[in-house]
Amino acid sequence: MDLNCEAHQNGLALRGIRVLDFTWIHAGPSATRILSDQGAEVIKVESNNALSVIGGPASATARGLGQRHNWNAGKLSISLNMKTAQGIDIAKRLAALSDVVAENFSGRVMLSWGLDYDSIRAINPSIIMLSMSGFGRTGPWRDRVSYGQTLQAWSGFTQLTGFPDTDPSGPASAYSDAVGGMAGAQAVLLALMHRARTGRGQWLDVSQFESLSSLLETLVLDMSVNGADAVSTRTGNRPPHGGGAPHGAYRCRGEDRWVAITVFTDEEWDALVELMGNPQWADDPRFATAQGRERNADALDALVESWTIEHAAEELMGRLQAKGVAAGVVQTGEDLSRDPQLKERGFFRRVPDHQGEHRTIESAPYKLSRTPGSVTRGAPAFAADMTYVLRELLGMPDEEVEDCAIAGAFD
Amino acid sequence: MNIPGEISNTEPSLPLSGYRALDLAGPMGVYCGKLMADMGADVIKVEPPGGDPMRDVGPFIGGQPGPGRSLYWLHFNTNKRSITLDISTPEGAATLRKLALASDVLLETGPPGYMDSLGPGYGGLGYESLAAESPELVYASITPFGQTGPYRDYKASDLVGFAMGGYMYVTGWPDAPPNKLWGSQAYHTASNRAYIAILLALYHRMMTGQGQYIDVSMHEAVAATTEHVNTTYNYTGESAVRCGFRHGGQFVATWRCKDGYASITTNTRAAWDDLRAWMERDGMAGDLMDAQYNDHFVLRGEHSAHIEELVQAWALLHTRQEITEFGQSNHHPWGPAATADEILGNEQLWGRGYFTEVVSPDGPSLVYPGDPYRLSEFPLPVRRAAPAPGEDNVEVLSGILGLSAADVERLSV
Repeated sequence: MDLNCEAHQNGLALRGIRVLDFTWIHAGPSATRILSDQGAEVIKVESNNALSVIGGPASATARGLGQRHNWNAGKLSISLNMKTAQGIDIAKRLAALSDVVAENFSGRVMLSWGLDYDSIRAINPSIIMLSMSGFGRTGPWRDRVSYGQTLQAWSGFTQLTGFPDTDPSGPASAYSDAVGGMAGAQAVLLALMHRARTGRGQWLDVSQFESLSSLLETLVLDMSVNGADAVSTRTGNRPPHGGGAPHGAYRCRGEDRWVAITVFTDEEWDALVELMGNPQWADDPRFATAQGRERNADALDALVESWTIEHAAEELMGRLQAKGVAAGVVQTGEDLSRDPQLKERGFFRRVPDHQGEHRTIESAPYKLSRTPGSVTRGAPAFAADMTYVLRELLGMPDEEVEDCAIAGAFD
Repeated sequence: MNIPGEISNTEPSLPLSGYRALDLAGPMGVYCGKLMADMGADVIKVEPPGGDPMRDVGPFIGGQPGPGRSLYWLHFNTNKRSITLDISTPEGAATLRKLALASDVLLETGPPGYMDSLGPGYGGLGYESLAAESPELVYASITPFGQTGPYRDYKASDLVGFAMGGYMYVTGWPDAPPNKLWGSQAYHTASNRAYIAILLALYHRMMTGQGQYIDVSMHEAVAATTEHVNTTYNYTGESAVRCGFRHGGQFVATWRCKDGYASITTNTRAAWDDLRAWMERDGMAGDLMDAQYNDHFVLRGEHSAHIEELVQAWALLHTRQEITEFGQSNHHPWGPAATADEILGNEQLWGRGYFTEVVSPDGPSLVYPGDPYRLSEFPLPVRRAAPAPGEDNVEVLSGILGLSAADVERLSV
């Protein structure tokens, strides 16, 4: 809990902050990775009993290994068996030395270990505790369980995402976990500021359902005031409330290649028409105004695609951008790995794992001029940091460590 | 300048009270400004005379555009103040510069170089120039592709940001075009990331007194939010593809059911066993009780098409509620795909005080959504509705900058 100024001169906003991190899977670890990138010492408490969960130390698949590194880079790992009294005792001693305790278990777990907010506060009065859960720790649904996709379904995102005339697709991945992770990190940062101002910690009861619902924009306002007339259906790639045409993904030359094009103004439309070679259909009076283009968007989309299909997506992006039209390749994972912009800005980083093998991870998607942050290694090996944590942080003598090991505290 | 760690002896009433932020953002950053305002910062929205173009974005109250009727504006500008200022004139830009120097945070979404070009002869509004006078300033720029690199001058809408960030290619059905998430989620992701960076910078400033410049790229913000697109390619050499609501053919999937859609996740062996046992009771399990299907991750494997066919046929027998109740009572993460009108009535959101109903005696009553989280130290209802254009001209320009009434009138109309 070192808040002196010197520690902050070296490019890390959170140096001196220690996070005891019980989180697992995606949302929680992605929240604490944000803190770790800025110098917080994040100690992951892991368990032999949950090695192969998504992002766990023994993630079985190549993709799982990627998730392990991407969400846990730069952290430390210890193994604690919370079914033993010694395991719980060590966790409590670590909580006493931490600034933040983070967890995303179901509601009963931390309480059953005597590590709920009130208990931790009794041993560390200024602790900040981040509890991330699907629905929050109060309210009629506090005991319901969820995955990212459950929350996407329940919040409406699943039903709203997709084209109007087909089954909804919903988000392809766990948007709600990413959103929950961002919300969790924001809440911790606000609490750290509050602690610096007042000396007081607090409990952060983050409901990922609420975090996700906060991204429904005007949906609730619209329903509340306009009722049945509210726009509440799938609109594919068009903005739900209008604003521009063409506005969509258009098929290009090659297999499953697409370019996203959005035209809002007459100038952009004129530029597009010129690039298309001034086809005769573009003189159709239906397309003369922005409103007309929007009203006739289906017909327009088909005609635009008759042009894009003849060209490579990359070529169209470059030509459209040169004329001031917002356009971009619908990029695949492979495209991103070769993206010259991401390369120039160092978005992907290669960091060594515990065996010295280099792993690719994403960087924080923002650049801070004074505290750029730093991530110099991949995710820790399971229980890699027992010596540092037990001996250096807790000062445990050899005999005590041995006794704990015999009692199964590290299993 | 107002560095709370140094000068504030009073109890902060909200997490960001005591901080002033100048909000020059368009749609890409409007949510970031809202997050700051809702958490208590004095966020001053700077609009051109006549009002910000975002006031014309729908939906509208009663479906009719008009002053004060844009729900888009009302939603994204809660708790902000508004001034109108013509910053294309040298004097307007000079006034904005003074306001920036009296602020803790500046948020903008102009193209790279735009802020430097404003107010020639008055020092400009770029970071370097402002920081020379106010090193404590936290200055955040959100752009489509960042301030550097070959695409720095490229334009992007929400859709283009979503496409370039890699989220769009994987969203949708395999035999249909890629599609975007509902709403402007690329913009909001950029905003969410910018807000994290601003909070990091403010914390650093509390510790050191130093401000800094923040360069946020929507492209990167989306690329860092896809969950699986980059890890799949970087660790397997294969690009992830569109799978509709099957979520990668994994054990997480949504199904058509009797009255809509429901999400059924078989993340544990127990969940998978409960699902196939229920199918068996309905006589719809086919051969799924066989031992070869015991692995709960079996949907990933070679049998996925067969299993999906059986599960889909069975799911049509049951309603969302039946599936949800059965799943939740057995502690499985199953739930309904809610429709938009069901969100407004959600008992959990009401139960936790997430919504705020603002009853107006002479206008329509509105239900505002809450913030992504509450802090136990602070209650956070909507305290102030979005402002009218220039509503706070006098308070801000006279109150903060000490301008005369005549100057305020001249500058802001």
